[in-house]
Amino acid sequence: MRLEKCWFCSSTVYPGHGIQFVRNDAKIFRFCRSKCHKNFKMKRNPRKVKWTKAYRRLHGKDMTQDSTFEFERKRNRPERYDRNVAENTLKAIKKIDKVRVDREARHHALRMKGKKAKEQREAAKELEQSIHMVKAPAVLQQEPSLTLPKIKVKVSQQQSEENHAMEE
Amino acid sequence: MAARFASRLSHVGRSVFGGLGNISSGSLRTSLDSTWNNFLSQQQQRTFIQMRTVLKVVDNSGAKKVMCIQALKGKKGARLGDTIVASVKEAHPNGKVKKGEVVYGVVVRAAMQRGRCDGSEVKFDDNAVVLLDKQGQPRGTRVFGPVPHELRKKKHLKILTLAEHIA
Repeated sequence: MRLEKCWFCSSTVYPGHGIQFVRNDAKIFRFCRSKCHKNFKMKRNPRKVKWTKAYRRLHGKDMTQDSTFEFERKRNRPERYDRNVAENTLKAIKKIDKVRVDREARHHALRMKGKKAKEQREAAKELEQSIHMVKAPAVLQQEPSLTLPKIKVKVSQQQSEENHAMEE
Repeated sequence: MAARFASRLSHVGRSVFGGLGNISSGSLRTSLDSTWNNFLSQQQQRTFIQMRTVLKVVDNSGAKKVMCIQALKGKKGARLGDTIVASVKEAHPNGKVKKGEVVYGVVVRAAMQRGRCDGSEVKFDDNAVVLLDKQGQPRGTRVFGPVPHELRKKKHLKILTLAEHIA
């Protein structure tokens, strides 16, 4: 039994799934599901199709080089069955998966760093520039509480001041 | 396969354009899209090898193309690994097999997918056959292109040894 990789999306093809297409030059294309197979028949390049691993690796969205990938290299020599080796391998697989997932999460966090700050800056700028679309500028000048407060003033004091102004 | 696909696409495109002459560009685009999608969604449904199916011959027995006369097993037709009776339609000028001869052959490549015992499916790019004699031994001495594992179960071991690549 061997777990293959889908040619189009690079996900694992488990036994019993998928279609294998053998071209006349003896190149074998394995597909995990009909979605990938149909895209292949349409002659789409997986490096240009956004949801495939090939695109994500090419465009730096997922990490490309890592020592955890070395464990998944294809080995062609069959190993003699040894119960201890099999047990250790199963334990190691779990651990390696955890390490790989952690490293991918770190890569993702590094990629998304500075996004929150950027979003906040953009929101503040938009508020400053486009507030005229929400409230008329004349009204803004009369009611200072509608604009973003530049200096923090105690709310109770300002209210009493406004009330005095209104009364007068 | 690529050439055939491209030619089919262009043929459809030309006929569609001819039909929708004077419609405005917006509606033309939408109707064109729908016809394209329709065309692409009805992708080729590959079926069995039956009477009148032309197959390629991939050994050096002398024939180039044969037409199936009878699928020896199966009500609907022959699949990957089945034997057929065929008539030689095209042959090399000086080969063991002549045009018009009735021969037996085993299907080594089929465009229709065949289920494997592990649950997956295999399909090849074209329909190809290796000519046999009455006893089931291949008539040629070389086999070209990939051949499937299924021949092992059908006891065509000689073909497997001659093959360049076993898929």
